[in-house]
Amino acid sequence: MTIDLQALVQPDRVHKRVYTDPAIFELEMDRIFGQAWIYVGHESQVPNVGDYFTTRLGREPVVMVRHTDGKVNVLYNRCPHKGAKIVPDGSGSAGKFLRCLYHGWTFKCDGSLLSVPLRSGYEDTALDLKAQQHSVRKVARVASHRGFVFASLAEEGPELVEFLGGVATSLDNFCDRAPDGEVEVAGGVQRVIQRNNWKIFFENLHDTIHAVATHESSWRAAKEEFESMPAGTPKPFEVVIVDGNGEPLEFWEKLELKGYDHGHGFMEGIFVPPTDPVSLAYVAALQAKQGEARADQILRVNRHNTIVYPSCSPHTSFQQIRVIRPLSVDRTLVEIFSFRLKGAPEATFQRTLKYTNIVNSPSSNVMPDDLEAYNRVQEGLASDGGDWVSMHRGMGREQPLPGGRSSNGNSEMPARNMFGAWASYMGVRTGGAE
Amino acid sequence: MNFNDWQEQQDITQFLFHEARLLDEHRWDEWLRLFTPDGLYWVPLVHGQTDHLNHASLFCEDALLRSMRARRLEQARAYSQQPPTRTVHVLGNISLESRTEAGCVVRSTFHLLEWRKTEQRAFAGSVLHTLRREGNEWRMEMKRVELVNCDAPHEALQVFM
Repeated sequence: MTIDLQALVQPDRVHKRVYTDPAIFELEMDRIFGQAWIYVGHESQVPNVGDYFTTRLGREPVVMVRHTDGKVNVLYNRCPHKGAKIVPDGSGSAGKFLRCLYHGWTFKCDGSLLSVPLRSGYEDTALDLKAQQHSVRKVARVASHRGFVFASLAEEGPELVEFLGGVATSLDNFCDRAPDGEVEVAGGVQRVIQRNNWKIFFENLHDTIHAVATHESSWRAAKEEFESMPAGTPKPFEVVIVDGNGEPLEFWEKLELKGYDHGHGFMEGIFVPPTDPVSLAYVAALQAKQGEARADQILRVNRHNTIVYPSCSPHTSFQQIRVIRPLSVDRTLVEIFSFRLKGAPEATFQRTLKYTNIVNSPSSNVMPDDLEAYNRVQEGLASDGGDWVSMHRGMGREQPLPGGRSSNGNSEMPARNMFGAWASYMGVRTGGAE
Repeated sequence: MNFNDWQEQQDITQFLFHEARLLDEHRWDEWLRLFTPDGLYWVPLVHGQTDHLNHASLFCEDALLRSMRARRLEQARAYSQQPPTRTVHVLGNISLESRTEAGCVVRSTFHLLEWRKTEQRAFAGSVLHTLRREGNEWRMEMKRVELVNCDAPHEALQVFM
């Protein structure tokens, strides 16, 4: 049965099936995750030859591994012999070569075949060990931007920098904020399972008007906590990052949203740069290395969540990347990686971890209400109570930008922008200018 | 290392049972008062984690964060607590790990069953209680929960373990 995708997506609304139909999910794996540049990981996760890190690109299990030439390769985690996954899931060091557990075939860290037991058994057979197909298959394309490694399963398509467009500056600023200009993954990875379609999570990232409603329990708890403190107490960081969601709609209205081609975008920062001792020590470290003018220029780029569609969401001012891995039509895995700014005081990194522990970890006080909302959406969309999901707010009021568009904070432009990209990957037109 | 006598063993065992019961009965305020002012509630993210400042955790909560969590759980509009999480703790293998100047460190194992909405979740592991004697009461300087599956992907963890 073919699906009439054309009938499911319009410029200002989408049909519920795009979130609930397992067949559409499979098409997304082929056409979106099989085509776009997908975030794999950061080069600092594989610092030495033989270091590996496994992940998935859509349905495909892959491994990022550093070769003797210093290059980072991304290979399908599949032995060309009998098909076993060569390295176990997770990260570690394979030594100088990869060795399959099943029959001991070995491969260099670029995937090329090194040795097979009983080589003589293949003489005079149709299997030519020198042929490329007996090496571990590399993914079609790999590229890195400031150490952030992306891969595409498609041979053809735009170059990474062209794909990133306007959000390349978020990855740049992510690194520029380090006094030494470099970042590294540190402090472990947190993983959260969501019972919802991956797109619901992405749309929520720039949905400013849900915060005051959905997060009432956590912002109210934070406000009450602060009110219980002695008068004149400076507001603790732990309270600031939670009670901000209680800002009225007028506050969010003023924030600028930017949407770029391919579905990307970012939201202007919601936190005023703090002036506590930890922040001041960090700024001083940045100024000492980069000079005051350059430091000021770097810190002026103040953004909340950036969206790199369809695989990750960097947070430039709290040094973390959330990686989104669709598991099935109604299950999504989000992995949260924290980064150390090289050359910054250790207290800066400890603050990064505080943010991830409090806001994004499985035990966050903020996130459970998000997950509850996403899940109720997922379950509600399965009902016959309606067919369409609205994205009308602020329609037609976007301002054009080079390679994209901008809007005020309460517009649903980001969702429309993502569905514009979605339609384009899926081979349909939304019929609108988006 | 062992308890001095039945009396001491009974005393500490009853404290652990009481602490678990407060959680199972959602008596958050009483549970918060079991901690010393600078006490830490900690659920490491990885096995053998020694550092809660330079490594992410599943929970890493001082008095402020514990209080904020308890307040949130009781909010009328805590949508993810509609219905509330229901738990039961079963404790066992209570043993004395070491003695400190003002108290002791106790290791126990636990099985925690959680229910919310449609499904039960099971957690299990060890707990290290660092206890301090204050008058004739025990206080927790640290409750460290070592989950067997700490490094697994988790759905939201809302209530204290």
